[in-house]
Formats: sequence, structure tokens, C-alpha cells
Amino acid sequence: MDDIALLPSFPLAAANMILVGAILLCGLAVGQVFVRVLRLPRITGFVAAGLVLGPGVLGLLDQAMLGELSIFVDISLGLILFELGRRLDFRWFTHDRWLLASSVAESLLSFLFVYGTLRFFSVAPVYSATAAAIAMATSPAVLIMIVHDQRAKGPLTERLLALTALNNVFAFLLIALLFGFVHLEYGADWLRATLHPMYLIAGSAGLGFLAFLASRTLARWLGKREDSQFVMLLGLIVGTVGCAISFKLSVLLALLAFGVFAKNLDRDHDLMAVEFGPGGQFFLVMLFVITGAGLRPSELAVTGVVGAAFVLARLAGKLIGLGLFAPLSGISQKKALLLGIGMVPMSAIAVVMVQGASALYPEFGATLSSIVLPAVVILELVGPLATQWALRRAGETEPMTGVGA
Amino acid sequence: MTLEFTRSAPLTMGVELELMILSTHDWNLIRGAGDLLSLIDKEKDAGDIKPEITESMIEISTGVNTNYLTMLAELTAIRDTLVANAKRLNLAIAGGGTHPFQHWSEQRIFPKERFFHLHEMYGYLAKQFTVFGQHIHVGVSSGDEAIYLLHMMSRYIPHFIALSASSPFSQGMDTAFDSSRLNNINAFPLSGTMPFVADWNEFNVYFDTMRDLKVVESMKDFYWDIRPKPEFGTIEIRVCDTPLTIEKAAALAAYAQALARHLMLDRPGAPSLDVYRVYSFNRFTACRYGLEAGFIDAGTRTRRALKEDIAETLVRLAPHAEALGSTAALQVIQRCNEAGENDASWLRAELKTGQTLNDVVRRQSHLWVTGNKAADSPARQ
Repeated sequence: MDDIALLPSFPLAAANMILVGAILLCGLAVGQVFVRVLRLPRITGFVAAGLVLGPGVLGLLDQAMLGELSIFVDISLGLILFELGRRLDFRWFTHDRWLLASSVAESLLSFLFVYGTLRFFSVAPVYSATAAAIAMATSPAVLIMIVHDQRAKGPLTERLLALTALNNVFAFLLIALLFGFVHLEYGADWLRATLHPMYLIAGSAGLGFLAFLASRTLARWLGKREDSQFVMLLGLIVGTVGCAISFKLSVLLALLAFGVFAKNLDRDHDLMAVEFGPGGQFFLVMLFVITGAGLRPSELAVTGVVGAAFVLARLAGKLIGLGLFAPLSGISQKKALLLGIGMVPMSAIAVVMVQGASALYPEFGATLSSIVLPAVVILELVGPLATQWALRRAGETEPMTGVGA
Repeated sequence: MTLEFTRSAPLTMGVELELMILSTHDWNLIRGAGDLLSLIDKEKDAGDIKPEITESMIEISTGVNTNYLTMLAELTAIRDTLVANAKRLNLAIAGGGTHPFQHWSEQRIFPKERFFHLHEMYGYLAKQFTVFGQHIHVGVSSGDEAIYLLHMMSRYIPHFIALSASSPFSQGMDTAFDSSRLNNINAFPLSGTMPFVADWNEFNVYFDTMRDLKVVESMKDFYWDIRPKPEFGTIEIRVCDTPLTIEKAAALAAYAQALARHLMLDRPGAPSLDVYRVYSFNRFTACRYGLEAGFIDAGTRTRRALKEDIAETLVRLAPHAEALGSTAALQVIQRCNEAGENDASWLRAELKTGQTLNDVVRRQSHLWVTGNKAADSPARQ
């Protein structure tokens, strides 16, 4: 046996694992500094860590590395969207149709205001529309993480989760439909322009449905044991993410659909409300650091004005939409205001969706990113703080008061 | 200064029920009282719906009733209003004496001065007081009558405990008790029984002493199993767990009403200190074993099954129930007693089929809305 094989050689055999570990620890450390020293949400710290490590600043994480880590992003998104989908309770809408109306209003107004703003800055219609569709969605990752960190519990939290689930559904559907126009913009024929959105929507929803059927069958067989159901759901979520990527469907829509079906079609309540807990935290920290690494502070400087206008238009849409229907939905204007502020974090997820499916037209992805990313940079950093503030003001967070806690 | 006892029509009744507010996501308690109350405030004729000590509790109460069926109708209307409003907020409501798996430390005191004061005074006991009871008021014509009825009623307290018991689970565990809720109340310094006073004057002397010593400020500070309620002109039975259905709640009130009629009209003997000598023991076994409990009859100095004592009481109450128009209610009680099945047994059976406590809460919330537990329905013959 060759002695040399016992010694390490470059490139290191497990360099990727070292990288993952290092990212987690960096994220954790910066997150702690943010919480302890700056008194900001740790999510902002994770994003900031990514921002500094990424190509935008230090460049320790380059584009190739980020590509290799994309599996973590996909799994994290899968977990989050499944969880979010389970918050979309159709029975609620039958008991309070004004809730649905207020969701449509805030989504629609955010879309229209952002669209109008971008058109004002002479952005082409198809880009304006896609960017405005992205603006509809609230970031489920930020919301779920803040809810978890703050141990938020209460009617406002539930409403915020339901409205976020809805505006994500609207955004995903609209983005899929807009792909048709993107195809046309780049000279594809009508057939392609209609079939691709249909394939994305129907295929992803169908995949989510199949995943739900599998989960229900397995849950019946496993019985109500939390550990077994946890592993079963995790397995199905990861598997569904894989299938969605393989069949070029939307990971986001498929997993959201999986969660929605699990909440609303599980008539015999075979599926347990599993908490992903500390295991899920691993994926979330990775997600935020990697998201941060994808941000370019330099872009903020170039298109800062458009970015700021974008952010304000979006906020106005949400606040007005929610405020209009608040009295009918039985909540005070103060609560509507807190909801609007809680919905400030913008979904970097939607950007992922656009980039994934617009791979056919790299130019489209690049242009769109340059429009949306300034707003994403602002909202990734400010958003967690806004949500945290709203939940605290609503009195639904749990301060750590226990002895030694 | 003496407490004025408001005269009220004898044998009228009223009910207060403390209820849980639940998240339909995980069926844990949720702090929804504030939102729910502000939604209900906008509705007229919503009945009396009030906050309770922690934010995931809500209390409903009826007006003064003479008849069981009208009381049931009133309770039905209040329940439906409450449930309809809760649904708009995607919240659920349920009966039951304890929430099976809530953690007391996660509860939040409802923002009201009296509740903050209680929290300051009692510390963690205030949050552990997130338990849900039914209070039954029975009208009496004078303070002296109230004292008499209260002492005579004490013998029957185990009946009410066993028949209403619906708190077998607490903090995620089966407690082995049918009513674990009363154990939470025992911890309070002013819980237990009213002293053995002979009449309203003697009661006033006692009350003045306690007030002068700053032990209490008002009657509200006594957490007794039965207490006089001078401003209503009633005695208030406080040992019942909130049942899982309003049908059962109304039947228990009718049982108390018929019992009061029997005690007031038939005058079966004078109040006896002997009842209080065995009181704690009888109360404990009723909490622990429910309808399977034993019972020490202080009058005859015999031990018997509690079930047997309830069955015998039902026979004695039959003519009174007929006079009050509540025969159907007593049949509900009789069926429950004969089957030996109270709400605690229903909850335990549900855990066996439903597998998790979350499922149990979901089903008990469903039961609260439909009330279709056949045994509690007065219509069944």
C-alpha cells in the first residue's frame, strides 16, 4: 500500500463539506453578533454574512461554489413552501370571504403600483410586469424564521401566514403565466408561449398532488408517530424537489401545492402537524447565507432610486389593499397596518423561480435581476426587522422570561 | 357594613362557562380573546361574552332562566354566535376542564387590572389557572335561605364533580384523574368550603372579620366550591368542569335546580358538620375516579358507590324535575350515570382512536359545535 494515500492531498477530498460547515458557522457567528450587539434579527445577520463572503464583497464564495450549494437552497425552499402551504386553510376563506378579498387587493395593488413605478422609469412592459409579480409575494422564509425565533403565536401571526401563503400562490401563478409573454418577447411561437405556462402550473400542481397522496398513504401505514412522520415528510419533500427539477417544473409551486393539499384534502387527519425544528434550522441558515451571497451591494448604488421607488410602491400597495378590507374582515386599521409591515420582506424565492425558468433566455434573467435585485437587497436587510417589529407590536411574540432561558 | 343579599326568585338558574380558544393549525390554545371580543362587540344581542384571566380563555354566561329548555335555547344561541365569530378568525372553541397539552408558562394574562393584580398576587398559580369551569347559579329568596341551601348542597358536590368531569389530561399527560382541574384550584389559599355558619348574619360577621384583616376585599376573592353571590341573590356551584357540550351544561344546571327544589321544599334535615368531615375525601375520590368513585354518606354513616347515590337522588328528584319541566335533563344525567361515562371517559376513548392529543382537541372542538354526542341530547328516548 502506498504511504502517500494516507496523507491529505490537494484539492482536499471533502472540501465541500468543509465549506458547508464554514458557511454555517460564519452565518451563526454573524447572526449572534447581530442579535447581541446590534439587537437586530439574526436573519439579517445571516444575509449580511453571505453578502460579505459572497462575490459582491470578499469573494470567498464564488459563483461556482454557490452553484454547488444550490441543492441546499432547493431543499430549504421545499421545506418552507410546504410549511407555508399548510397554512393555507380554505375553510377560513369560506368563513371570511373578505380575507380572500383583502389578499387579492393587497396583491393586485402591489402589482399595479410596482408596475406603474417601473413603467415610469421606462422599464419595458414585460420586465415591469414580471418584476411586479415578484413584488406581490412576501418572503415565506423570512416570515417563518421570524415567527419561529420570536415564538410568535396569535391571530395576527396566523393571518400573516395565511396572507403570505396566498400572495405567494398569486405571484407564482402570475409569473408562470408571464413566461408566455417572455417567450413571445424573444420570438417564440404562440404554441410554446401557451404550453409552457400550462405545463409549469398543471405539472407542478400535479406533482404536489402525487406527493400528497404518497404522504397520506404512508402516514396511514406509519401511524401517528412524530419521528416517523417527520422523516417521511422530509423524504417526500426532498424527493419532490428532485422530481420538480428533473421534469423542469417549478419547485416552488410543486411544494406549495403539496402543503396546500396536505392541509385541505387530508380529511381523516392522517398527517401530523410536524415541526421541522432544529433540523430545519440547518437548511434555513444555509438558505439565508447563500441568498446574501447572491446580492450585489454595488447594484444598489447604481439603481438605488428605482429600488427605493419599487420598495415604496410595493409597501403602499400592501397597506392600502389591507386597509381597504380591514373593517369588513373584522380587524382594526392598526392590525391592518401591522400586517402590511409584517409583509414587507420580499421573496428572493420568486427571483429564483424567474432565473430558473428563464435559463432559456439568459439576457432576460440578467436584465430582470438588475431591476429587482436592488429592492431585494433593501428588503432582505430591512424586511426581517419590519416583520419582527410588527409581531412584537401586535403583542404576539414571547419574550424569553424563564429562569436561565 | 353588611353585605346586602339581593332577593331573587327562588329556583331560577343561570350558567357561566369558561371556554378554550384554539388554533386550528395545531389545536393548541391561542391568544385570541382580544380579537374575538372586539369582533363580537360589534354584534348586537350577542349574549354575555367576557374575557377570563388568560388570553386563550373566554367566558359565556346566560341570563336568569326558570326553564331548562329555554336555558338550552339561550346557550345554543350564544354558542352559535361565538363559533361563527371564531370561524371568521380561523379560531376554534371547545369545552373541557383543561386543555390537554397546553403549557401553563406559555399563557398570557389578559390585559385587565384585576387579572394583573391576581397574577402579581398568585404568581405562577394565576397562569396555571388556565382551566375551564362551569358555574351554576341557583336563585334563593334570602341570605338565610342561601346559607341553608349551600350547606345542604355540599353533600352533593361529588355528584357534580363526577358527572361533569372533563379534565383527564393536563400538560400533555393523562393525570389518572377524571377532573384534574380541581387540583389547580386547591392551591389557592381561599379555596375549599365556606365556614360552617348558621345564617346570613353569622356569615356577615365572618366576612367583616376577613375584610378587616385585609384577607379579602370582596366575595370574588373566595374560591370556594359553593359560595353565596349576594349581588345576584344566588348560590354559585363552582366545582363543575366545563362539559364538552352545552347540552350537558344545561342538564347539569337543571340537576342543580331540581336538587335545590327538593332541598328547599322537602327540607330533608338540618345542615350538619358531619358532611364537611368527609367532604375532602368525597371530593377527592370523585375527582380521581369520576363515576366509579366511592362515596361516604355522612348522614347514614355508610360507604357506597357514588353512582348508586346519584341514581337514588335522581329518583327523589323526579317529581321536582317534572314540576320544573326538566325531566328530559335528568334523563341525560341518568344515562350518563348508568353508563358510567362522563366526558373524561369520552376524551380517553378519543385518545385511543385518535392517537394524539391534538386529534383529541380537534374532536372535542367539533363536538362543542355539533353537540351531537347522543347521550347528552334531550331528544333521545
